[in-house]
Amino acid sequence: MLVLWGNPQNSGICVSCFLENSAGALGLHDNPRMQYLRPELVGFVLGAVVAAFLGREFKSRGGSAPLPRLFAGIFLIVGCAVFIGCPIKMFFRFMAGDLTTLSGIAGLVIGVWLGLKGLAAGVHIGGSKQKPDGAGIWVPLGFLLLLAFILWPPGFILQSTRGSAAQSAPVLIALAVGLFLGVLAQRSRFCVTGSIRDGLLMGYRAPLFWGFLIFLVSGLVTSLATGQFHLGFYGQPGAHLDMLWGFLGMLLVGLISVLLGGCPFRQLIKSGEGDADAGLIVIGMFIGAGLVQSWQIAGTTAGVGLYGKVAVMVGLIFVLGNMLFYRERIG
Amino acid sequence: MNFFQNRYALIIILLLISLLTACQPEGTRQKMRIGYMNCNSEEETLKRFYPLTSYLSQKLGVDFELMPVDTQDFSERFAAGEFEFTHTNSLVYLIMHEESQLQLLATEKRGRYGSYTSGSIISRKGSGIKTLADLKGKRMVFGPQLAPSGFLAQYDTMLQGGIDPEKDIAYYAIPAGSFKHEKVVYGVYFGQYDVGTAPSLDLELMTGAGKITADDFNIVAESPIIPYCTFGASKDLDPTLVENFRKALVELTEKDVVSYQGEELKVLASAWIDGYETLEDSDYDLLRAMAKRANMPPYQEF
Amino acid sequence: MARRDRFDILTGGGLLVCVLAVVFLLMVGQEKNTSAAALDKAMEQQIAYQARIEFLHNLYQPVEDLRLAGQASEALLKLDELARHYPQEAHGEILQAEILLERGAIKESIDHYVRAVRLNGDYVDKASPLTRRSGIQQLVDLRLPEFAARTRKNPQSLALQNTLTGLYYLQSRLSGGCE
Repeated sequence: MLVLWGNPQNSGICVSCFLENSAGALGLHDNPRMQYLRPELVGFVLGAVVAAFLGREFKSRGGSAPLPRLFAGIFLIVGCAVFIGCPIKMFFRFMAGDLTTLSGIAGLVIGVWLGLKGLAAGVHIGGSKQKPDGAGIWVPLGFLLLLAFILWPPGFILQSTRGSAAQSAPVLIALAVGLFLGVLAQRSRFCVTGSIRDGLLMGYRAPLFWGFLIFLVSGLVTSLATGQFHLGFYGQPGAHLDMLWGFLGMLLVGLISVLLGGCPFRQLIKSGEGDADAGLIVIGMFIGAGLVQSWQIAGTTAGVGLYGKVAVMVGLIFVLGNMLFYRERIG
Repeated sequence: MNFFQNRYALIIILLLISLLTACQPEGTRQKMRIGYMNCNSEEETLKRFYPLTSYLSQKLGVDFELMPVDTQDFSERFAAGEFEFTHTNSLVYLIMHEESQLQLLATEKRGRYGSYTSGSIISRKGSGIKTLADLKGKRMVFGPQLAPSGFLAQYDTMLQGGIDPEKDIAYYAIPAGSFKHEKVVYGVYFGQYDVGTAPSLDLELMTGAGKITADDFNIVAESPIIPYCTFGASKDLDPTLVENFRKALVELTEKDVVSYQGEELKVLASAWIDGYETLEDSDYDLLRAMAKRANMPPYQEF
Repeated sequence: MARRDRFDILTGGGLLVCVLAVVFLLMVGQEKNTSAAALDKAMEQQIAYQARIEFLHNLYQPVEDLRLAGQASEALLKLDELARHYPQEAHGEILQAEILLERGAIKESIDHYVRAVRLNGDYVDKASPLTRRSGIQQLVDLRLPEFAARTRKNPQSLALQNTLTGLYYLQSRLSGGCE
């Protein structure tokens, strides 16, 4: 629906695209076609805050492996940007008939599976501890500040007048949709990689997996009903045919997401629940969003450039290295 | 035990022999000749096309000999069987296709029109010669007569525009010696002639190199685009070899290199070529029509 | 819960003062902002973009004039000359693509369109002052089925495959999506 209201094609919701747009608006990169402070993004976090407070689930927690989490946030966006889109957008693209996503879907599922193998083998990047202090409020406060920037934009906020960042749903609608989805996601614990993980572990008995299937079906129905369905490999909006790199990018995302407890969207929601560890990942994602544009890491319709390929490989080195460092060996 | 040892020794010896015979060293391989049409000079042809010939030898496992051939002798020497493969301009290809059933292999890509090219009629800026009608009574210089984009295309363009080069202009000349196309351009630039016919590719290259500027000339007319230089093969050759030759040409990339006197030379760059493409013989029909209208070989009637 | 001591009260008081100061600054400080330069980055970006458009129009005006006068060949030479000073400029590529299309050099025209759009996405934007969207859309609609059929008939041809890939790229860019 957000596409119909003005968001770019196949990007009704895309956490990584929204982060890249917002990072640009804050001056973290200089691509003039990718600068817009996306209200949906702010809505996700603040919606989660509201839902967490109402459900008495706002708990300040965190404090484990801060730097690995910060870097993991950066590499989450590297993987998404190389593929062109976060896992949610990937499935929306798939439901709109984009067959180039098949490589990404395969990568994400294998990444999740590898991550599960890692967890089973004792890889444990530290668990969050409940903190009596207010560590968990800073990311929500940061997003409150971003809300103020949206409503009363100061002079230093940039806004594209061309390119995909210039395409947007009206601010209040986008914000309302973001808040609604934030509340919904906080209550339902919706997470793309979590659904795949549960599906792999429990099969059809997993409630998250069923929720995910409903999400897919509703995506398909909407694209068919709105005439956005176009089956094929070629001519798809915001897609490339570098299948191997799409696969590896999403493998990186799947792997990190399972090891750190959630896809990029879930990290936003968790940061709104007072999870400072997730908050640190969100900050890493903002940094990553700036870097993927500034350093030409992001994939484009023309394909994935050298720096994108190198960044994905460095990301995999980072994750695999940490899987060795953080493995708890018995005996 | 001895029996087994001897049997293994025999197998190894047989394997070695088969490996040695499979690998034909240069000099013992099949020999063939490629005739290259001289554009400017024999020396230039040798220098340009040595790496390409060497590349083809390596790719096809055939010892190709590079033979520089003058334009006017080309079809005759080909008919006499002096060489099996040809590299010529598209008009000479047409002549040999008609006369000796030369097979089309691949067309060369160079400049903005890729595997096509065109001919331009130029006059000096400020001369007041801007249209074909202005050519009447003027002194004109043409490129070599068998040059499709230096003579035929412009000759036909003039005929199509109602100007008969044999009757309507004061006189026309063709420069002698080598580098005829550049001589045409500079002949017009320095005022020796009022009008000249230059391949559009030469104008593009000279402008790109800064030798002339776009403001130096009026382009009085430019012909439609016609196929550029062409590789051909004799009709009697092994079809597999011909297909491999074509494949080797179209698969050439700017990164392909060959060794020459201890140096690694880029094949395409050395030959001033952007690549090769497979065209259909029917793509040459426009050129055929031009040759017929201009009463040029291979359709010349006396 | 531990009783608040003097330190807590002082720190809390300091915190409150800072919050009030920020609110005050934001409310009344705008007019008295002593920053050397005005801070409106979005506007500065707009001005720089408009200046770039103006510069491109002036730079390539001779080419446009020659095209309007029906002198496409001279326009192409002018582009060659400009390319010596401004290589990799997308506007030169787009003009080259348009003239080559008029001249019937379809494959080469598609190559130049692809290069132009890769260098600058403004050419497929609907609202950009540089937009060539309708022309590119027409080219894709007309030529994509033709080149797809030709490539199916002649799967060995690398040149046809390249052209087809270029057309798919343009189709994808026209479809929109994130960049």
